[in-house]
Amino acid sequence: MSTKEEPLDLIRFHLDEFVLIKLRGAREIKGKLQGYDSHCNMVLSEAEEYIYNDSNDDVETKKTEMVFVRGDSVILISPI
Amino acid sequence: MSEFEKTDPSKFLSDIIGSSVIVKLQNGINYTGNLQTIDGYMNVVLDNAKECSNGKVVRDYGDVFIRGNNVLYISEA
Amino acid sequence: MLFFSFFKTLVDQEVTVELKNDMEIKGTLKSVDQYLNLKLDNISCTNGNKYPHLQSVKTLFIRGSTVRYVHMSPNSVDCTLLQDASRRKLWFNPQSRMIV
Repeated sequence: MSTKEEPLDLIRFHLDEFVLIKLRGAREIKGKLQGYDSHCNMVLSEAEEYIYNDSNDDVETKKTEMVFVRGDSVILISPI
Repeated sequence: MSEFEKTDPSKFLSDIIGSSVIVKLQNGINYTGNLQTIDGYMNVVLDNAKECSNGKVVRDYGDVFIRGNNVLYISEA
Repeated sequence: MLFFSFFKTLVDQEVTVELKNDMEIKGTLKSVDQYLNLKLDNISCTNGNKYPHLQSVKTLFIRGSTVRYVHMSPNSVDCTLLQDASRRKLWFNPQSRMIV
């Protein structure tokens, strides 16, 4: 039982690598994962935020060098 | 499952690890893929995941972690 | 608890807090608690023309649950330490099936 994999392991394996986070409010962030906890609170560096507006064709992009993301906004995390 | 048996939800969840599943989220988006792992919060990891909305595949992911609070249901595909 | 400790290392640094209602507040982080509630001093609203509500406010207590992002200077973060702490699971996860 002690070697059983759990979902948060996937995130652990991608520390110091770039991940894509899908967030509530039609937002996504790509960034290098520097830290996380069991609530999916995260710190990303070299991050880029994408905000999708109602008309899907215009996307607002914001760059940020170091950002803490609160876990309750997170929908999914995927390595890129 | 081949025969109807009295069981509990967590048994169902541990039984379907490794099989192909559909995860529907509260925002209406479906994810299909192979269920790698799942925990008590319904945090889920799928591999070979596809994001579908309105019956169309919108995006492919390799591995994907879905935070449990967004999950509406998990069904065996 | 990891991010509680993390934010404690950022006390007296300048941060920009983006709330879930889209307000962006810049200020000096004065204190943090276990819920990641934040106290900021010398605040200014970086999108203050859109949200003029706080023009005369100097100090602010922000409920953690309303926060979307906290932006900070990369120089104030020890990335290696944060990665190691995350790897070693310095938090308590009661439903974890893993015996650490």
